[in-house]
Amino acid sequence: MKRVLIVDDSVSMRQMVSFTLREGGFEVIEAEHGQDALDKLQSSPVDLVITDLNMPVMDGITLIQNLRAQPAMKTKPILMLTTEGLAGKKEQGKAAGATGWIVKPFDPEKLLQTVAKVLP
Amino acid sequence: MGRPEILHGNLSRAVGEIPSKASLAAESRPGLEAEVARYLPQLGRMSEQLKQTSKQIEESVVGVCDSFQGIAVRARATVARATGFLGNDGPSDSGKQSFEGLIEACSGTLVKIMHTTVEAGDISRRAIERIEDMDAASQQISDALGQLDQITNSNRMLAFNARIEAAHAGSAGMGFAVVAVELAAATVKSRSVTAQVGELALNLRALAESTLEDLRRMNEKDSERIEQCRQEVDAALRDLQAAHSEMAEMLNGMTADGALLATDIGAAVRGLQFQDRISQRIGHVIADLDTLSARLETHVGNVAPSATAIDEGFSAYTMREERKVAGIDEAEASAGDVELF
Repeated sequence: MKRVLIVDDSVSMRQMVSFTLREGGFEVIEAEHGQDALDKLQSSPVDLVITDLNMPVMDGITLIQNLRAQPAMKTKPILMLTTEGLAGKKEQGKAAGATGWIVKPFDPEKLLQTVAKVLP
Repeated sequence: MGRPEILHGNLSRAVGEIPSKASLAAESRPGLEAEVARYLPQLGRMSEQLKQTSKQIEESVVGVCDSFQGIAVRARATVARATGFLGNDGPSDSGKQSFEGLIEACSGTLVKIMHTTVEAGDISRRAIERIEDMDAASQQISDALGQLDQITNSNRMLAFNARIEAAHAGSAGMGFAVVAVELAAATVKSRSVTAQVGELALNLRALAESTLEDLRRMNEKDSERIEQCRQEVDAALRDLQAAHSEMAEMLNGMTADGALLATDIGAAVRGLQFQDRISQRIGHVIADLDTLSARLETHVGNVAPSATAIDEGFSAYTMREERKVAGIDEAEASAGDVELF
C-alpha cells in the first residue's frame, strides 16, 4: 500500500484529504506544518507528499526545499494543495521542486486521479 | 448572519471616525484621540470573536467530516457483508457459507434425496418382478407335482397289479411280490412327499402373493410420494432461487446506492472546504485588525479614553462565548440546556 504524507495546518483539510486518500486505498500520515512533516519523515518514509503552502513554523515552499535536499526525497512526487492560485507563487513552488499544484477546494475524484498520475 | 454585520458596524464605528496621520498632525484633536482610545479595546475583542468563530466552524466541519467517514465506512462494510453473504464475491469475512453456497448445498442434498427415493422405488419394482418370477416358478412346481402325482398313481396301480400277478404265479412269484410290496410302500411315501411339497408350494405362492400385494401398494405409495417430493423440491428450489435473485437485486441496488453515496460524500467534501477558505479569510482579517490595533495603540496609547469601556453593541450578542469575550460573564444557560416553564 502506498503511503502519503499530508501537511496542512487545518485539521479539517487534513481530515478531508486523508479521508479521500484512504478511500482511494492509500495509507496516510498527517503533519500540521513543514517541520512536523520533516520530523515524521525521519521515522516513516513515504511515496508522496501533499503539502499546503501557508503554514506556521515552516511553510510549504521551505518544506519542499528541505525535502529535495534529502536523497530519499529527491525524486519522490510532491504536490502543493493550497488556496493560492497566483502564477508567481506557482513558479516559486515549481522552482522549489514541487511536482504539481492543486488549488483548493479540491475535488476528491480529481485528487485521486492526480495522485495516481504522479505515483509510479 | 447577524454577527458579521455587528462586527462590521463596530469596526466602521471604530475605524471610520479615525482621522489620517496627516490630519492628526495638522491639527490636534485630543477629543478624537480620546474617542479612539475608548474604542481601541473593542478591536481586540473583535479579533478574539473572529478567532473563536473560525475555531467553531472548523470544529463543526471536522465533526461533519467524521460523520461522513463513518457513513462511508459503514456503507462499504454493509455492501461487503451483503456481497459475501450472497456469494457474488467469494466467501464472507465471517467464514460462514454464502447464500449462493447454501442454495447449492440444499439443491445438492434435495437432488440426492430424490435420487435415493427413485432408486428405492426401482429396487421395489425389481423385487416385485422377481417375486412374480418366483410365483411363476411355484406354479410350475405345482404343475410338476401334479404330473408327479399322476406318475405315483400309475406306480400304485402298477404295484397293485404286480401283487395280483405275483399271487397268481404262486411260489415262483414270491420275489416279485416282495418287489411289488416295496414299490407300493415307495409309492405311498412318494405321495406323502409330493403332498408336502405341494403344500409348501401353495404356502410359498400365498406368501409371494401377499408380499407382492404389499410391495405393489408400497410401490404405488412411493410413486405418489416421489412425485409429491419432486414437486415440493422443485417449488423449494424455485423459492430459493427467487429469494436469491431478489437479494442479488437488492445487493445491486445497495451497490449502486453506495456509489451514489460516494459521489455525494465527494461533493460534500468539496463543499466543506469552504471552511478552510473562510478560516484563511478570517485569519487575514484578524491579522489586519491586530495591525490596526497596534498602530492605533502607538498613537493613542497614552491618551485617556473619552469615557469608560463601551458597551455599545453588546446587547446584540446572543451567545455566552460572545459575552465572555466582551468581558460580560454572567451566569446563564449553556448550549444544550433545557428548561421547561
